[in-house]
Amino acid sequence: MNSQTNLKVALLLITIIALISIGVKIQPILKNYDDFNPDMVYAINYNYFFKSEDKSTTVKSFIPKTNTRQRISEKQSISDSTLVFTKEISEKGNIRGIWNTNHKNSYHTLHYKFVYEGREQSFTVPEKFNLITDKYKYEEFLLPTSNIQSDHKKISELAKQLKQNTQNDKQVIKNILDHVVSIPSAPIITLTDALTTIEQNKASCNGKSRLFVALARNLGYPARIKGGIILENTEKRTSHVWAELLINQTWVPFDPLNNHFAYLPANYLEIYQGDEFLITHTPGIQFDYAYQIKKMNHISFLNMNSEEIRELSNISLWKVVESGVMPQNALNLLLLLPIGGLLVAFLRNVVGVKTFGVFLPVLIAFSLLQTGFISGIILFVVLILLVGLISYPFDKIGLLYTPKLVISLSIMVGLMIIATMIGITYNIIWLTTLTFFPTIILTIAAERFSRATVEDGYRTAIDKLFQTLIVTAICYSVLSWSWLPSILIIFPECILLVITWSMLLGRYIGIRWVEFYRFRPLFT
Amino acid sequence: MFSRILDIKSIKKSSVIGLNERNIKLIYPNNAKKHYPLADDKVLTKEILHQYNIPCAETYAVIEYNSDIKKAWEYCKKFTAMAIKPANGCGGGGIKIIKKDLDNNWTSSGKVISEREIFQHMAATIMGFFSLGSHDRVLIEECIEPDPFFSKIYPAGVPDFRIITLDHQPLMGMLRMPTDRSDGKANLHQNGVGIGVDMQKGTLTQVYDGNNYYSYHPDSKFVVQDVPIPYWKEILEISVATAKAFPLNYLGVDIVIDKNKGPQIMEINVRPGLGIQLVNKQGLKETIQKKNK
Repeated sequence: MNSQTNLKVALLLITIIALISIGVKIQPILKNYDDFNPDMVYAINYNYFFKSEDKSTTVKSFIPKTNTRQRISEKQSISDSTLVFTKEISEKGNIRGIWNTNHKNSYHTLHYKFVYEGREQSFTVPEKFNLITDKYKYEEFLLPTSNIQSDHKKISELAKQLKQNTQNDKQVIKNILDHVVSIPSAPIITLTDALTTIEQNKASCNGKSRLFVALARNLGYPARIKGGIILENTEKRTSHVWAELLINQTWVPFDPLNNHFAYLPANYLEIYQGDEFLITHTPGIQFDYAYQIKKMNHISFLNMNSEEIRELSNISLWKVVESGVMPQNALNLLLLLPIGGLLVAFLRNVVGVKTFGVFLPVLIAFSLLQTGFISGIILFVVLILLVGLISYPFDKIGLLYTPKLVISLSIMVGLMIIATMIGITYNIIWLTTLTFFPTIILTIAAERFSRATVEDGYRTAIDKLFQTLIVTAICYSVLSWSWLPSILIIFPECILLVITWSMLLGRYIGIRWVEFYRFRPLFT
Repeated sequence: MFSRILDIKSIKKSSVIGLNERNIKLIYPNNAKKHYPLADDKVLTKEILHQYNIPCAETYAVIEYNSDIKKAWEYCKKFTAMAIKPANGCGGGGIKIIKKDLDNNWTSSGKVISEREIFQHMAATIMGFFSLGSHDRVLIEECIEPDPFFSKIYPAGVPDFRIITLDHQPLMGMLRMPTDRSDGKANLHQNGVGIGVDMQKGTLTQVYDGNNYYSYHPDSKFVVQDVPIPYWKEILEISVATAKAFPLNYLGVDIVIDKNKGPQIMEINVRPGLGIQLVNKQGLKETIQKKNK
């Protein structure tokens, strides 16, 4: 009795301490709540180096602006005092930074820095597009230009060919994209126009995008070039262009180099629209450049920078995130494990679901985050059934338990390797994701499954597999919530709460929910 | 809506014990983990039963090493029937009943079996084939012949009684019978039926097959309701004696009735299942409360 009371007091104290610690932090966090919720944050630095000539020298570069999917902040131009920085807005709505100097024959360095916060964006493309009634308004997106020769015979022929046997506008666009994607990519730095792309049958992003736009315009779809940078944690010199189609008053992105259909990844920095050059400068000068890009740690729902989060409280794991000692994914996994475990404990002890292995559903749910839910679940079931089936004859031979387990494991590894090889050879991406699954745990689950089929019959075994899948799906739906790892990083006290809740669960003597069904004759 | 709430209330008050409550309230405080082997290892169980002279099948031999198989067999083969069991088998796996037929051949499940095959089965048992890989012992014992009382209800297989005891007192009991669908097995999970027992009167009550209640065995149609159980007093006595012999205060005692020797302890279980509540249409909590009054 006494130790029971002590335990209760200890639990209560732990809970109170954890709640106080959380409470201290909650106020500033609520104040800094950010409904923009970016997927990725990068700090970008344009670095331009040049030598001015005998006359006034100018360097111009487009600079990005905030829109519905990207937020640009902390903009800053740093250069020597002889450079004058001004901004202009072009008639197309692009913003251009202009750096001008009258100092002759001197070396100059200029930096333009900003922070990018962005989200991925995908669009639903309707089968049929509304007719463009106001042709005049969209003239510039429909007419040919010197590099987008949408009226050329070859372009017309190709466009006609791609339109053949299509039922609706969406299919036409899909055909155009597929065709342009299928043109071999080549790292061609120089300008490639639409026609040359057909003739050479290879191009980089700019040639492909121009051809895509030319084909779309030829068929009467308003289209334009879009320019920007694919952000990676590195220093790079390549910028990127893709295309946009005006579909029912909305500009929808298509990337004919990386095969994005109506989708823009979170790390695409949009800078300008139109068939322009990102940088222009006074001709004949010495000029060099690089884009310095750094991935920033961030918490999606907080409008706070790294230092502000660090200063929030000493009790947070932000320092671990900043130090980079642990990959973010590994840290997330570590933090989510107890939460997933608590969930499984609840489902087993309160609901009464039976699963193969205690933590198998949690680990499978993690793997599903990598493989995608539907294909992952199918792969999981097929693996378990296949290994169970293949191991069946070994069960019959009468082998000892441990060597039999090794055979199952080897079969599992073999299947995974074969599937991955097939996936690579035939370019089936979902097959190559098999290796994300925790092999040993999967093997034990398969082994339990095959044993259950022998001991309890197929029905019970399939039933248990089905329950395991349900628990996995529930774990997945909770663990895939993107805020959860961030919340645990700011509030690691939650782990303490998991322990106290588990203590409560551990003493729970109520009837399990499935037992209401099992013992139903006794309840009526 | 209102009736639903009332329904939940009635459930809360109900006397059914679920798995959570069984583990926390009955098993953990009453059965120390270190004593589990006494129930899980059939050889250890029988040692204690013999020690206290509690009736159970006679032990012919216990084989620990492969080298002892031949020697044990020399002794055992004079008997006409015997049961070969793994000491730590689970779910009835690895149990072989062998009998001599008229031509003096050994048979198992109606098929002739060579001595070589019997030895192989024993060797596999010792290697742990039926006990998840750990070394095991073979227990060879007398073969129980069920009392003719049972063949009236259902003629095949080995039926047994399960008596739950708490603090050396019998709480609840049931008779487990095989059916046409259970392949000679009497377990509820394996399509056997459970028959409730009136502990005071020593009579059978109703039959439960996992879904429905009957007053008769579903295959033979033999009406079991109010049929007196033979040797009922002895059954209660030996379950109490067994409960006292073991340092385990919450037990499931399995008992068979041999046609010559009367009630015999088959085995004991430290984690008896909860289906017995369904069979008797009664919650264990209620039964425990009544006992304590």
